[in-house]
Amino acid sequence: MSDEHGISRRTFMAKGVAAGGAVVLAGAAGSALAACSSSTGSSSTTAATGSAPGVGTGTPVPGGTLAVGLLSEIDGFYPPQNHWDTSGYIYAQCLFDPLMAIAANGTIQPYLAQSCTPNSTSDTWTLVLRPNIKFNDGSDLTATVLANNFAALKASLLTGQALTQVVSCTVTGPLTVLYTLSGPNPGFTAGLATQVGYVFGQAMIDQYNSGNSAPTPVGTGPFIFKEWQPNNHFTATKNPSYWRKGLPYLDQITLRPIADTIQRESTLKTGGVDMIGSTDPNTIKRFQGQSGYQVVDSLTGVIGEPSMAFIMLNTAVAPTNDLRIRQALAMSLSQATVQKIFGGGFTQPINGLFLPDSPYYSATGYPAYNPAAAKKLVASYKAEHGTPTLQLLTITDPRLAQVVQIIQQMWSQVGFDVTISQIEQANLISDFISGKFQAATSYQFGAVNPDINYVWWSTTTAGPVGSIALNFPRNSDPVIEQNMLTGRHTTDSATRIAAYQTVNKQLAKDLPYLWLQQYIFSEVATSRVQNWANPTLPNGMKGYAFDEGIFSPTAIWLSK
Amino acid sequence: MGKYLIRRFLQLVVVSFVISVLVFMLVHLLPGDPTTQILGANDTAANRAILLKQLGLNLPLWHQYTIWLNAAFNGNLGTSYLNHESVTHILATGAPVSLELIILSQILAFAVAIPLALVVSRKPNRALDNISTTTTFGLLALPPFVVAPILVAVFAVGLGWFPATGYVPFNQSPATNIHDMILPAVAITAGSIAVYFRLLRSDLISTLQQDFITMARSKGLSNRRIMWRHAFRPSSFSLLAAAGINIGSLIAGTFVVEALFAMPGIGLALVQAVEQRDYLVVQGISLVVAIAFVVIQFIIDFIFTIVDPRVVRE
Repeated sequence: MSDEHGISRRTFMAKGVAAGGAVVLAGAAGSALAACSSSTGSSSTTAATGSAPGVGTGTPVPGGTLAVGLLSEIDGFYPPQNHWDTSGYIYAQCLFDPLMAIAANGTIQPYLAQSCTPNSTSDTWTLVLRPNIKFNDGSDLTATVLANNFAALKASLLTGQALTQVVSCTVTGPLTVLYTLSGPNPGFTAGLATQVGYVFGQAMIDQYNSGNSAPTPVGTGPFIFKEWQPNNHFTATKNPSYWRKGLPYLDQITLRPIADTIQRESTLKTGGVDMIGSTDPNTIKRFQGQSGYQVVDSLTGVIGEPSMAFIMLNTAVAPTNDLRIRQALAMSLSQATVQKIFGGGFTQPINGLFLPDSPYYSATGYPAYNPAAAKKLVASYKAEHGTPTLQLLTITDPRLAQVVQIIQQMWSQVGFDVTISQIEQANLISDFISGKFQAATSYQFGAVNPDINYVWWSTTTAGPVGSIALNFPRNSDPVIEQNMLTGRHTTDSATRIAAYQTVNKQLAKDLPYLWLQQYIFSEVATSRVQNWANPTLPNGMKGYAFDEGIFSPTAIWLSK
Repeated sequence: MGKYLIRRFLQLVVVSFVISVLVFMLVHLLPGDPTTQILGANDTAANRAILLKQLGLNLPLWHQYTIWLNAAFNGNLGTSYLNHESVTHILATGAPVSLELIILSQILAFAVAIPLALVVSRKPNRALDNISTTTTFGLLALPPFVVAPILVAVFAVGLGWFPATGYVPFNQSPATNIHDMILPAVAITAGSIAVYFRLLRSDLISTLQQDFITMARSKGLSNRRIMWRHAFRPSSFSLLAAAGINIGSLIAGTFVVEALFAMPGIGLALVQAVEQRDYLVVQGISLVVAIAFVVIQFIIDFIFTIVDPRVVRE
């Protein structure tokens, strides 16, 4: 029913943000990403105003209720315990504020924090909060609350790993805390723009500690929690005392999870909601150029690396443990054909993790489509081991079913004996973790900072088949390990770029992933919804407009 | 009658116990466990061991079962591992949605099937009968996940008569509630209409050939009186039995329809819980639904004894 597949934001992508937070906290400086971004991704506009899609023009109009159709439901609002995926972050943007935020130029800028500065070795960081900010229950935002936030996040099984490098968070003043790290980390602030950086009220901590596993949300955000009926709707009303003067413009926001893409689109068309998110490229096709709708997508304007759709190959089991087989599979897979079906004709050929407008982009040596060469490699393998048989796993999704059938055909033509198996997503993830697969469809990796993916590629997380391992393909490559650590620790932009380019090349050489295409997020709104992809940060800089399907509701208004 | 009902009640108790064991065991037979969903990228061996202990999933299955059953007897079906909502609360908020959907769909099914069967059975194999039979045969082949998008495309997006998705509780706005419910109810009822119509038509045609109908006609009774007072009741046994059996497929239908129409019923909650290996939610909802199904069958058996007292004697 859901149009999310592979490792969905609901399951691993989102948690990758949390776990990746560990990596982000230990990661590279956000400033190095400055050159990664371009303007907001936008494919079309037919807005009445004639403006760029998602960018408001004229004088903001206060008032009104915005209804948004989301891809999925959240499982709760308590950052230490709940999983925030694309939809989860949209909920969070309504109720909470992050300490730091990503600017449109890729740098990490203060949000609730007034400043966050390192010592000379970047292993202690002093964070000063903005003064006179209150939570929506009337309590003050103080350094003590922030330190208590840290304690709750650090103690959590979910978010604790994201903070492994942070040894302590000590209150040094009414609005000042000192983060002490176990080692240098020039990119520490990037982690504070993720789930572990969203600040929640002391009342939530107290409720949780007294046995309420689902505490009522208390934040400093632009809206105040009103009601939540899971799987039906969430409503929040304007925070009249919001610390960012004049914001928000909306009186109320309602979020409605509608799992089915077509139904979500129909609900938009019938006026049930004003905006919808989608991961189906056909949504762009269906609304592009249609009168009265605006479309913003992630085809351009990606900061860092986009989410990628790929075939994952297990390098620890036969026959995919043989590099010749992985090369043959790559060479016999026509990316262009797959993109026609799966990408709706929007996506470009890819050779790795990064898009051409990224500074990390380079030639990678990823095998080109060459079925004749693939046949030779298969013949070479066959002479030693017999016909290579392969099970291709995927989940029950009609679009993916088409894709895997085409791939099965391509691989069969060069000598593979391929069977397709469609299984439930939870089972697929279980198989990934335990290494019980040969080849499988998936999507993953979207990250502002490539370092966030350390956990998926590290030699330290590549266990044997049967054991729990987060390096799902079990690709234990010391060159990748070394360069990921270099990218994490260096303060030199050129060194970092070189390190991630090397990682990209190594992945093209090892072939644990056969790249299919960029995974596309899009947001469609009626023309009366203004300024939903044009956030401004408290310091006046432009914010990251459309971070993998996430938008900020703070500065949205509805035209008359 | 009393002995019959006691025997049926005892059967109900035994069946409920068997259901509770099966539900518990089947859920635990599913590959994977909730730690994958809860921990995500933090799914390390150490974290998993801690969480399994916290959730009590490290205990032997029989021990987990007795704990769960004991709590269930005390009205505590546990809480979701993921959003920490109590299962009884999920049932309390979701069951009215699903129940309303099922009831409304059955009202619609009977409202269409019974009058239509009464009309066409008087003159079988005529044009109206042939059209009705063919149409309902087609409806029988259309599952809710096919009917729903068609209804939305025509009546929501095309004509704008109904919303594409959404649900407003009856106590908030009865009119909006019914309005929102119509498309989902029609989507789920298409198959029921076909089954009820065809069964009743067939039984009515057979009944209308009986001697007592000829006698009624010879007395000069009106056709309406003959159909409703004399032919309908003896022809409705199959209909009643089918309605009882159909409850199971209707419940399954709500799983699909609730997801498609974004309705917060127990069907949607159950589907999500299965996907997320949220054991207690799956167990709680499955148990309550299964027992409800058995109880409904018991009630239908009871109604049979009133409609046809021969059932007790047999």
